[in-house]
Amino acid sequence: MRMPLLILLSVTALTGCSSLGVQPWEREVLARDDMQFDGAAVEAALDDHIYFSKEASSGGRGFGGGGCGCN
Amino acid sequence: MDTPSRKIDLGSADGYWIGRFGAMANPCEVLIETTSAAEARDVCERVAACAWRIEDRFSRYRPDNVVHAINSSGGVPITVDEETAGLLDFAATLHRVSAGRFDITSGVLRRAWIFDGGVQVPSQAVIDEILPYVGWAKVIWERPVLTLLPGMQIDFGGIGKEYAVDQAARTVQALSSASTLINFGGDLAITRPRRTGHPWRVGIEATHGPPRVASRLIDLRDGALASSGDTYRFVLKDGRRYSHILDPRTGWPVEHAPRCVTVAAPTCTQAGTLATLAMLHGAAAGRFLEVEGARHWIQWS
Amino acid sequence: MTNRDTRIGSAIAAATCSLLGATIPSRTSAEEAGRWDIETALLYYAEGDDRVQDASAVIAAKRDFEDERYLDLGLTVDTLTGASPSGAIASGVAQTFTSPSGNAVYTTPAGEIPLDDTFLDTRVALNVGWTQPLARLYTITAGVDFSTEYDYTHAGVNVGITRDFNLRNTTLSAAVAYSQDDIDPVGGAPIGLAPMLDVGDSSNKRGKDSKDVLDLLVGIVQVIDRSTLLRVNYSYSDSSGYLTDPYKILSVVDPVTGDTVARMPAPGADGPTGLYRYESRPDSRRKQSLFAEMRRDFSGSVLGLSYRFATDDWSIDSHTLEARLRWPLGEWSYIEPHVRYYTQSAAEFYRHSLVDGEPLPEFASADARLADLEGVTVGLKYGQTTASGNAWSARVELYQQSGSVPGGQIIGNQTGRELFPDLDAVIVQVSYRFGL
Repeated sequence: MRMPLLILLSVTALTGCSSLGVQPWEREVLARDDMQFDGAAVEAALDDHIYFSKEASSGGRGFGGGGCGCN
Repeated sequence: MDTPSRKIDLGSADGYWIGRFGAMANPCEVLIETTSAAEARDVCERVAACAWRIEDRFSRYRPDNVVHAINSSGGVPITVDEETAGLLDFAATLHRVSAGRFDITSGVLRRAWIFDGGVQVPSQAVIDEILPYVGWAKVIWERPVLTLLPGMQIDFGGIGKEYAVDQAARTVQALSSASTLINFGGDLAITRPRRTGHPWRVGIEATHGPPRVASRLIDLRDGALASSGDTYRFVLKDGRRYSHILDPRTGWPVEHAPRCVTVAAPTCTQAGTLATLAMLHGAAAGRFLEVEGARHWIQWS
Repeated sequence: MTNRDTRIGSAIAAATCSLLGATIPSRTSAEEAGRWDIETALLYYAEGDDRVQDASAVIAAKRDFEDERYLDLGLTVDTLTGASPSGAIASGVAQTFTSPSGNAVYTTPAGEIPLDDTFLDTRVALNVGWTQPLARLYTITAGVDFSTEYDYTHAGVNVGITRDFNLRNTTLSAAVAYSQDDIDPVGGAPIGLAPMLDVGDSSNKRGKDSKDVLDLLVGIVQVIDRSTLLRVNYSYSDSSGYLTDPYKILSVVDPVTGDTVARMPAPGADGPTGLYRYESRPDSRRKQSLFAEMRRDFSGSVLGLSYRFATDDWSIDSHTLEARLRWPLGEWSYIEPHVRYYTQSAAEFYRHSLVDGEPLPEFASADARLADLEGVTVGLKYGQTTASGNAWSARVELYQQSGSVPGGQIIGNQTGRELFPDLDAVIVQVSYRFGL
């Protein structure tokens, strides 16, 4: 199955991550609103709901929080 | 230490201008409530010049300033200028009112403690070797002559940034009637209240979680704000966290110090001093600030 | 010590006065700002050809408390109208169907893909979440969510934990969610693969049913450099219970012509004019997905790229690619183009139609959403921040979905007809975010 291989590749790529990162005083860009992953949560939730009712796959980004009778 | 390029980034916002530059190993910004780009540029350049001047004069990393001269004096008396004398007088006062907890000669303990989140805790023997070189009481300070014992070092790191903010603020107050917020890496001051009556909104960064904008927001209309904290500079061994705030009387970190203390006061120097003194009181940080009647916020974990 | 302490403040003030060489001000005005962060949004979704239309209103509120504790509240109301493909296929003649309620019929003209237009539903959803530090470097989150509509209720709980490493450059998270949904279809849940009967005959229906879902998620957020963040999530989901869509049907067709087998309603009664069967899906579904997202700043512009691979034990595999570029216009506004590409492979029990005379499969569905399909979304958003720190934005997106039926499933006259109900939809949203 493809999934275990993909997970292995991701984990291998990320274990090289212990040397990645920035010093605390280098965070001014990372702290911006538009750099946050969950910065547009309402829009993402609305989109997730639309695609959940029109496609067979859903989620992955986080927990959608909600079910409906549409799929 | 390499000096990063000394350039100022100026950008406009709605109703104010923002200048950004680096100084004293910190991101610095100046917010000026003006619509005039020329005024904004002038103010920013003055503030940056002030910051770089103080960095050049008092940074312990430079091989060509009064601090270097003092630290390599080897016991020889050094005559210092008015500004340095002022800082030394201030340090002497803080040493006295804090009963020895605040001490600009304590920097040599850095040789024993490496605060990088690692697990190196020095032995008492190592600390005992360094303690003879720590202690403002061992210094002969008769203005304008300073004599250290051979092997002692001074470091203005604990008061330099706040002093620079206040000096920059005084310069701007004389120069411009625009409300200006001067922020050197989280230690900041306002030159005068904003014309619109709105406060300057300042964020205090959270002590943990993924990188986030602010854990609390402060509306600052007048005065200054400074923080003392150990978010990243600590040692963790056997589940005990050793903060980077060292008690110079023992050479060991202050026990049960909060993670971050933020104080509001009329000047940045006062705010920073109170924040540092609070940290040095460890578990009694909150009580200390309440007794002082200072507006403060403490993050304990 | 107390007496000496109270003189420290004035000693420091005097010392500062000497240091700065000036009389110092005595005023300080610093107050912690009130922090409700509220976002409201209105969304309108409309498909072409009188198909589904949806209007949604959302309010999301976040409140900060002391020491990094947060409360999240959300309320969503959707109103859905319009018609959806029922799963039956187009025919050379007009077709009549019994509606889901079992009390009426509806008709589709010849040559058109049948749409069931009896959907008119309002859904209300509520979610509450709480986040707080658990110990140094750990954060815990817990939440509940609930939604209700005419024929469906959902209730769920979730719990998650995060831990920081490496000077907060790496954050690991793990979360689990469990939910229970109750389905009470209009007219009752049909018996799987039972034939559609005349109006008033409910012998092919049973009552309500339910399903439960367990979701697990582990993720990592990693700071790559000063301008780049990366996130990778792995999710696992296990659903069991009633997973069938009670309103979807399949046409039963002649093995040679591919035309729907004709049927006569009972004398004096209304009913279907063809042979149709209600769909039936397995009562369990296990899904996994791997999701990776990157955000990178380019001197003020932010590029977001994401990819999701999902697979499940219904043989549905999908790939989703998304890109967004936030491009500032001056200090206070921005535009953000967006593209999304989605492709999925059909469920193993997907059937275009059932063949008369062949043994019934165990599971079958003609729901277009389970077929081989592709969806492309293209959109543009514009946003602005006001002087007081509030923000509004508006976006318009176009979503096109097209699918296909495997050649081996196309029989006889079906070849000349529209096989897949391609979708064209427009999405419009306006949002306003403010603080209290």
